[in-house]
Amino acid sequence: MITKIVSKNFEILNSHTMAVALENGRYASLENLFLQKPREIIDTISQSGLRGKGGGGAHAGSKWQLAADTQGTKYLVVNADESEPGTFKDRQILSKDPHLLIEGIICTCYAIGSHISYIYVRGEYEEFSDILQSAIDEAYEKNIIGSGAQYPLDITVHRGGGAYICGEKSALLESLEGNRGHPRLKPHTPQAESYFGEPALVNNVETIASVPFIVENGAEAYRAYGTEKSPGTLLFALSGHVEKPGVYEAEFGLGMWEYIHTLGGGVKNGKMLKAVIPGGASTPILPAHLVQEAKLDYESLKSLGTELGTGGMILLDEDASMVKALKNLLRFYHHESCGQCTPCREGTSWVDKTLDKFIAKTATTEDLKILKSVSKSMNGKTICVFAPAASGVINGFLKHFENEFLECIQ
Amino acid sequence: MSFRFNQENTIKIASLLNRYPQKKALILPLLWLAQKQEGFISDAAMKNISEFLELPLMHVYSVASFYTMFRFAKNEKKVIEVCRTLSCELNGSEDIKKYIQSNYSDRFEIVEVECMGACSGAPMCTLEGKYFENVTPQKIDKVFNDN
Ligand SMILES: Cc1cc2nc3c(=O)[nH]c(=O)nc-3n(C[C@H](O)[C@H](O)[C@H](O)COP(=O)(O)O)c2cc1C
Ligand code: SF4
Ligand code: FES
Repeated sequence: MITKIVSKNFEILNSHTMAVALENGRYASLENLFLQKPREIIDTISQSGLRGKGGGGAHAGSKWQLAADTQGTKYLVVNADESEPGTFKDRQILSKDPHLLIEGIICTCYAIGSHISYIYVRGEYEEFSDILQSAIDEAYEKNIIGSGAQYPLDITVHRGGGAYICGEKSALLESLEGNRGHPRLKPHTPQAESYFGEPALVNNVETIASVPFIVENGAEAYRAYGTEKSPGTLLFALSGHVEKPGVYEAEFGLGMWEYIHTLGGGVKNGKMLKAVIPGGASTPILPAHLVQEAKLDYESLKSLGTELGTGGMILLDEDASMVKALKNLLRFYHHESCGQCTPCREGTSWVDKTLDKFIAKTATTEDLKILKSVSKSMNGKTICVFAPAASGVINGFLKHFENEFLECIQ
Repeated sequence: MSFRFNQENTIKIASLLNRYPQKKALILPLLWLAQKQEGFISDAAMKNISEFLELPLMHVYSVASFYTMFRFAKNEKKVIEVCRTLSCELNGSEDIKKYIQSNYSDRFEIVEVECMGACSGAPMCTLEGKYFENVTPQKIDKVFNDN
């Protein structure tokens, strides 16, 4: 059931070193890369249907095209901020196969015409970004990157300072420019992102790490996995109340329960499943009966009222308190709001505090109304989708588990 | 008090200057180097950075204080971080936190943090930035007593 494209070398000893990486096929795609024109590479990526793996699922090909078509000095910015609770996949790539990421960066930069790339790594990942940095140093020594490479390219690791919101692409670019990590207002028409006024392409680590396979084997080889609309694989992950937590790469379209059962060994300690948060903390919760129906692709999860997100599933067993779980998540949102928009800054604070009353079982019907109305006010008129995501999380818990909240009302 | 980057960092900074289109982008890298060098970010270090990057001191301070990982006073104690987010909480992080607080708060500074990207190793904590996963009281005793 495991399909290894990105995780192929994860188990190989010392796969993060150049010697072992080369023995195991790293940088093999470059031969094919340089035989083709940048345009052709972008077409291949478009045809492969590769979708962004940072949570949004945007089509990589269209984003690349936009960056390639925009005049100016181009930048590739790799998003390694990975801070969405329940998500720990990019870290595996950074520490177990950093050369795959470097190879993907070379392919992507060549395709869009960029010679400068930054990898923005969350500050807490110091141990893992050190491994990445040594891999980059080795690639410079071998002239795989740098001014003496076939395609001249500089890669710089940029270390974040600890702020969840910097994972949002425009906040990340602000941070990379030397500002506070505040998301920017979105333009009305699709435009390339900008770094100091020049076009920038922002992609997730795993998105870029999926590129070498496609360049080497072609679009159809990638489409052989997954579904029509969600082609390929994802580093899905399991945590929470699960017997064998971890990252297991699989094709899109598998049954969620089958995946949990077969790869994760089922619910921890043989208990019954109550619910799954399907794709990182920002995706609406799915109760057990819907988990049975759910398939691991963008379309199936959307039809069930949630999102695929980052594919990081958090399991909650029959004894888990939904009130406590929601409180945990709202504390997170309250802590991480960047504070620019009033509905988000005030709303996250308010719902966090209101939940305390439910925990203490001193809530009133009025508090439940407040929770619902504040949640509604957070969904709209904010600069980024952080507040709407928090609102979706609240609504998901109330939709499926309102009885547990009612039990906390005096 | 004054602050100067040491020679090793000065060399690093010179090469970083070639990596970015504008000097301003060096704020985070310089803050990290300053914190590495002194263990925290002093007012003098921020002043040095603001002069070097030709930015108002207020800008440097406003950026530095936005992020949670910068410290503005010297830590007398080593720092233990305990993750409190959902996957860790579901796997007993509250008990771990209590255990650490009651046994180690005299020797270490204990901070609760949000998800560290180690959820498959829940509950987890860090010591001086290094990750420890699937922690138990026994494992904690072993690690912390060696430090
Ligand atoms: C609040 C918030 C946090 C985000 N955090 C991350 C993150 O940690 N890593 C990531 O790759 N994308 C994150 N994203 C998505 C990015 O904005 C962006 O869509 C993504 O990096 C684009 O790359 P992709 O198309 O390859 O997925 C976040 C988005 C939001 C709204
Ligand atoms: S929605 Fe929240 S996180 Fe996003 S920009 Fe507004 S205040 Fe910041
Ligand atoms: S929830 Fe603790 S590391 Fe993710």
